[in-house]
Amino acid sequence: MAHLVAVEPARHQHLYVVPEQIETHAAGQNLIPVVPAELTHVATQLPLVLAKNGQTGQFVLAALTGFAPNENLMVQQGQWQGMYLPLQIQRQPFFVGKAAPEANDYVVCIDLDSPATGQTQPVPAGAEPLFLADGSETDFYRQAKQRLVQLLQGEQQRDALIEALLQCQLLQPMSLDITFADQSTTRLNGLYTIDADKLAALAPEQVVHLHQQGHLAAIYAILGSAAQIYGLIARKNQQLVG
Amino acid sequence: MQSQHNNNNTAEQPIQTVVIVGGGNAGWLTAGRIAAKHNCQAGALRVVLIESPGVPPIGVGEGTWPTMRSTLLALGISETEFIRECDATFKQGAKFARWVNGATDDFYYHPLVLPQGFGKADMAAYWLHGKTAADLAGPLSSFSNDLCYQEAICEQGLAPKTIRHAEYAAVANYAYHLDSGKFGLFLQRHCIEKLGVEHIQDDVIAVQSAANGDIAAVQTQNHGLIAGDLFVDCTGFKSLLLGEHYQVPFKRCDDVLFIDTALAVQVPYQNPDAPIASHTISTAQDCGWIWDIGLQHRRGVGYVYASRYCTEQQARDTLAAYVGPKIADLAVRKIPIVSGHRQHFWQNNCVAVGLSAGFLEPLEASALVLVEMSAQMIAEQLPATRGVMDIVARRFNQTFLYRWDKIIDFLKLHYILSQRDDSAFWRDNRDPATIPQSLQDLMQLWAHRAPGDLDFTSNNEVFPAASYQYVLYGMGFRSDTTRLQHQLNNWDFAKAQLQQNRKMIDQALTSLPTHRELINKIRQYGFQTI
Repeated sequence: MAHLVAVEPARHQHLYVVPEQIETHAAGQNLIPVVPAELTHVATQLPLVLAKNGQTGQFVLAALTGFAPNENLMVQQGQWQGMYLPLQIQRQPFFVGKAAPEANDYVVCIDLDSPATGQTQPVPAGAEPLFLADGSETDFYRQAKQRLVQLLQGEQQRDALIEALLQCQLLQPMSLDITFADQSTTRLNGLYTIDADKLAALAPEQVVHLHQQGHLAAIYAILGSAAQIYGLIARKNQQLVG
Repeated sequence: MQSQHNNNNTAEQPIQTVVIVGGGNAGWLTAGRIAAKHNCQAGALRVVLIESPGVPPIGVGEGTWPTMRSTLLALGISETEFIRECDATFKQGAKFARWVNGATDDFYYHPLVLPQGFGKADMAAYWLHGKTAADLAGPLSSFSNDLCYQEAICEQGLAPKTIRHAEYAAVANYAYHLDSGKFGLFLQRHCIEKLGVEHIQDDVIAVQSAANGDIAAVQTQNHGLIAGDLFVDCTGFKSLLLGEHYQVPFKRCDDVLFIDTALAVQVPYQNPDAPIASHTISTAQDCGWIWDIGLQHRRGVGYVYASRYCTEQQARDTLAAYVGPKIADLAVRKIPIVSGHRQHFWQNNCVAVGLSAGFLEPLEASALVLVEMSAQMIAEQLPATRGVMDIVARRFNQTFLYRWDKIIDFLKLHYILSQRDDSAFWRDNRDPATIPQSLQDLMQLWAHRAPGDLDFTSNNEVFPAASYQYVLYGMGFRSDTTRLQHQLNNWDFAKAQLQQNRKMIDQALTSLPTHRELINKIRQYGFQTI
C-alpha cells in the first residue's frame, strides 16, 4: 500500500529517491495507464487498449503488458524491458494530491513506502535528494514535478479523447483467445479497442472535428498498436519455454 | 349502395393518427413504444396523448419484470438516466416469507434466473427424486437455492451486476423497482423531446362516434375535437372509452383472488447508507400479504388484504406491526382493489391499456408487464388500414384474455398450497370451488411430473414453466417422480448442474458489489453504453 504524504522542505530535508528502483512499480500490473501525448512512443512496443476502472466503470487508456491481472511481461528483475517507460511509472514515487479535500490547489505528495523512497543517512550512491542543504529544490525534484504537470495535463487530454470516442461510438469490446507455446490458453476479456469500420464510416464533419481536437493521431496510434500483441505473446512464450 | 361505398372507403383508410387518452405509465409507455417503432419524428405517423391536467396518476406498480429492460431499450432510454431520475433500484425476483406455514424462518424465492440446467434436463424431477433418494451430491437445501444462484445474491443484498457492466448487461437477470410518479414524468419528457409524441393537456368531455360505431374524435374542454384513427384508452380505473363509452363489461375475479384493499405507506430509510433489498419481499399475513420494495431513498410498503376477513383497523394494526413505531409519523393511503378485467380489450378502433383494461393484486408485479406487452403488440401489429384492424383486434383480445387467465391461475397458485391455518382467508383460498378449473387440471398433471414449457400454449408466456416450478416446490409441493424413474438416466449431468450452481454462487458472492454500493456508483459515475 502506498503511504502518501505531502512533500514539505522543512519536514523532508533528507528525503531522496533511488531512480533505479522506480521501474519496480511497473511489476505486477498488466495494464499501465497512458496519456495521449505518449501514445506514439508506447505504440511501437505494446498494444494500446481501453479498459474499465473496476471502481468507477469509467474507461481508461492503457498499455497491455500481460495476460493475467498480476502479470507484467515487460518487467524482469525489476527492470523495464522496453525503450520507453510510460509516464505513469516515470512519475513514481510522486503523486499529485489536493491541499484539502475541498480545495482546488494541488500539492506534491511522495509515497514513503515506495522502494524508491528513502531518508536514512548516509545517502546511498546514485540516490537523488529532493532538497539542497539550503532547503532549495534540486534539479531532480524540479524535473519530477514537471512530469507530474505533464501527467495532469495528459489526463485531461485523455478524458477528452475518451469522451470523443464514446460520442462517436468508436469503441468496441475485443475478445481474444490466445494459445501459448505450451498449449495453455487464455481469453482476454474486458478490453476495448477502436472499431476501424465505424471510424471509416464517420461523416466528414466528424472526422474534421476529431482532427481539430487533436484526437486523430491518438486514434491511429491505438489502431496501429494492435499488432504489438504478437510481441507480447512472444515474451510470454519465451518465459514459458525458458 | 351508398353505405357499401362508405365502408369501402373506411376499409382503405390508413392508420395515420393514434390518440392516447390518459397519461400515467400506461399512456406514456404505449405512446413511446408506438412512436419509437413508427418513427414519429419522421412524420409517418402521429401519436397524440391527451392528459387531464387535474387527475393525478394512481401510480400502482413499483415492481417490474425483466421485460422493462427491453422496453427501455426500445424507447432509446439510457439506463443510467432512468435509474438516476426514477429513484430506481434493481429487482432480482421475489422472496415469499411465511407463505408455507407462517413460521418466522419460512421463505422461498421466485428468482429471475432460470433453474440451472433448465431446458436441458428435467432438473426439477432429478431434484425431487434426489431429495428422497439422496442421489445428488451435497446436502440439498431448497429448490430455489439448489438450482439457482440468484437467491444467494439476494440474501446477501448484492447487486445483479457491477459498475463495469454496460447499460442493460448483467451477471444475473434483473428487473427494476421504481418510483411510479417519477417514472411517468420521466417517460413524458422522453416521449415529447426525443420521440415526437404530441402532448395535449386537457379534459376529454365527450366522444364523437362515426357511422360504423368507431370513435371519430374525442371532444376536449379547450382544444376542440381531436380526431384519430386508433384510440388507446389509458384513463385508469375510469375506463372512459372502453368501459363508459363502449360499455364493455367488467369481469370480476374476486371469487378466485379475495384481496380487495391496499394500505400503502412510504417508509424512509434509517440512514442514507442503509442496505437496499434487491428483491421484492412479500410477507404473508393472516388476511393477505405485505409488499416491501426498496427504492433509493425510501421503501414502499403496503398491506393488501381481503376486507371480508378483517376490519380496516385490524389491517392497519398488522401493517403497523410490520413497519414498526415510526408508522405513527407516516401517511397511510387506502386504495380499493377491484380484481378483474374487461371482457375484451379492443373494441372497434379503441384499445384499453393499463388499469382501464383491468387490475389484479400486485403479488407478481403483473400490472406494468401487461402494459408493456400491450404496448408492444399494438406498436408491432399496428394495423395498416381500418380494414385489417378487426383482425388485429380479435387476435389482441385472444392473446390478452389468455394472459389474464394465466396470471390469475399463477397468482392463485401461491395461495392454494399454503398450510397456513390462522384464518378463514387461507382456508377459503384452498377451497376447490375458488380454484379455476384450468389450474386444477394443471395441478393434477403436476402431481406426477414437473411443469414444462408445453403445459402452456403461448409463444410469449407471462409466467414460464420455470416460474411455476419455483412457486410449486418453494411452497413444499412434491410431484411424485416414481413413474419418471426410467427417464432419470443422467445423474452425472444432474449432479454437475448442482455443482455448477454452487460454483456460480461462490463467484457471484466474491465479485458483486452490494446493491447500495452499485446504486451510489451509478449516481456518481453512471454505466457505459458498451
